[in-house]
Amino acid sequence: MIKIKAKDVDVFYGKKQALFNISLDIEENQVTALIGPSGCGKSTFLRCLNRMNDVIDICSVKGEILINDFNINDKSCDVVRLREKIGMVFQKPNPFPKTLYENVSYGPTIHGMAQSKQEMDEIVETSLKKAALWEEVKDRLHEPGTGLSGGQQQRLCIARAISVRPEVILMDEPCSALDPIATAQIEELIDELKKEHTIIIVTHSMAQAARVSQNTGFFHLGQLIEHGSTDKIFKNPDNKKTQDYITGRFG
Amino acid sequence: MNKNKEQLLNKRYKAEQRFRLYGLSAIFMALLFLTIFIFKIFSTGYSAFQKTWLIVPVTFDAELMMLDQNPSKQDLQDADYYDIALKSMADLDPNANEDQENELKRMVSYFFEKEIKNELLNDPNLIGKTKEVYLTASDDLDQVFKGNYPRDLPEDQRRVSDYQLKIFDQLVANGKVESKFNISFFTNADSREAELAGIASSFMGSIFSILVCLMIAFPVAVLAAIYLEEFAPKNRFTDFIEVNINNLAAVPSIVFGLLGLGVLLAIFQLPRSTPLVGGITLSLMTLPTIIIAARASLKAVPPSIREAALAMGASRMQTTMHHTVPLSMPGTLSGTIIGLAQALGETAPLILIGMVAFVNTIPGSPMDPAASLPVQIYIWAESAERGFVEKVSACIMVLLGFLIIMNLFAQIIRHKFEKKWS
Repeated sequence: MIKIKAKDVDVFYGKKQALFNISLDIEENQVTALIGPSGCGKSTFLRCLNRMNDVIDICSVKGEILINDFNINDKSCDVVRLREKIGMVFQKPNPFPKTLYENVSYGPTIHGMAQSKQEMDEIVETSLKKAALWEEVKDRLHEPGTGLSGGQQQRLCIARAISVRPEVILMDEPCSALDPIATAQIEELIDELKKEHTIIIVTHSMAQAARVSQNTGFFHLGQLIEHGSTDKIFKNPDNKKTQDYITGRFG
Repeated sequence: MNKNKEQLLNKRYKAEQRFRLYGLSAIFMALLFLTIFIFKIFSTGYSAFQKTWLIVPVTFDAELMMLDQNPSKQDLQDADYYDIALKSMADLDPNANEDQENELKRMVSYFFEKEIKNELLNDPNLIGKTKEVYLTASDDLDQVFKGNYPRDLPEDQRRVSDYQLKIFDQLVANGKVESKFNISFFTNADSREAELAGIASSFMGSIFSILVCLMIAFPVAVLAAIYLEEFAPKNRFTDFIEVNINNLAAVPSIVFGLLGLGVLLAIFQLPRSTPLVGGITLSLMTLPTIIIAARASLKAVPPSIREAALAMGASRMQTTMHHTVPLSMPGTLSGTIIGLAQALGETAPLILIGMVAFVNTIPGSPMDPAASLPVQIYIWAESAERGFVEKVSACIMVLLGFLIIMNLFAQIIRHKFEKKWS
């Protein structure tokens, strides 16, 4: 089933066009990887999906992005509600400089998802468990989140993102600042999370894309060169550029 | 070739050594000036914290005080103390003629009558008895006792006569002159008499001014900074505002004084010489300082924190209030304190709005006339009397102490609460 449907999306930074006519379908409960060389627009596209580009004054987005058949670029779309449904994990772990508990409970608090302290405790616990962090931190929930290691911080950010039970999770190079062990943990986690969430991950590592994703889109110079199942893209791409990038001839 | 290289290397090392030397000598110079300055202030000012008292036997003669038998408390209040006060001074020299009696009277402050009265009010049983009472010495004798007075000047160039000196020396020899900690310097308001002048009025005036300044400048500046940094679109208009805020920070303080004079006093008819007006004027001056500090510390909050909050579905307002502003508070607060410390030392605008007036009452609210510490320094520095010289330095010491405490506080806030970003 198709969860997100992008139709002819153009993005401009001031006068400079960053994305050209992107049309891409994203399958529900699967992992879609976006790959491509630096500056190709894959992160920009990712940020279109929860309208994080709104923050940048000079950035304008054209085209339709349908999530559950609702165009999020429409004026009637409320960004706060949208971002409740579409969580995001960033490149560098960015926990709030508050306690672990406050980090995870922040989303549910502002969206009024818990009626009592007990409910909140439950949400925090399940979120941390799903993020495979609970066992490591259950005794120090009230210590600052910035005191964790890099990999733990990133899992904390994932726990924070899933605390509001989003339908989609956007991940912008979530492992680029992590060592191989922490990366492996996050990848395992992504595999687990796709049962309940649709995941879109931007990555520089082709090996990672091959390991975690079912679908892959290849971006180059602001254009979506090719997309399809990961198997096909990596084994038998249609486009010469895709082939060159995947085999490491440029990028 | 090789030799050339070695020469070049040597030259580079020498240049570095020279550079270090320049830096060290600059620091040494700065420290030297500071030491001289502080030494001068302390050596002139420390004696102001001591006050000289004459111990004079006073006979509480009921007749001279016009008191009946068994006087009530009110009677004691209303009694006439001037005559016994005069008499006890005149009695210091039984052979004194009328002129000399006058000189004797001037050896103590004009407050002596009150000091004698307080003595009796404290102990009404003294009526008819004689008791040695501590009387504040005149400022000139105070200086004589502290060794600051040029006794060897010809008599007609001195304010203390030979006769007064003779009597004073007798008193010193008999142990009837004492030096005690000068409490009245902290509890009295300003006075034309150096021996009675204190900093209570100007201290309270400064405190009230700073409070008014804080209450106006802080909220306005923080709101302005938050709006400009977090909400305002970046366009020509906001650039224009930013440039003007920076300009405002560079405006000479006396201009703000003129503004206070022309607008607050002339148009709004606010009471002259009050900490209220002073505080408002100072707040105009402090405003740009706090805005700049607050904006800088808002800017220092990493954008990733804002993104994290926004991506969780927080509104812009929630992002700002829950995350950005709390994280920027240490920087904002220490900037505020430094701005206030600047305002505390400001003199020119306060002179223009009339806080230079002679105020001999201690203000109870920002609506009462008051001086402020720096203006008090200015007023005393202008006075001709020798007794005010040490007072100026002492007042500077109090002001400096105040400033050091505030700056220390700013440092502590910054170090203790500022988050370190990895």
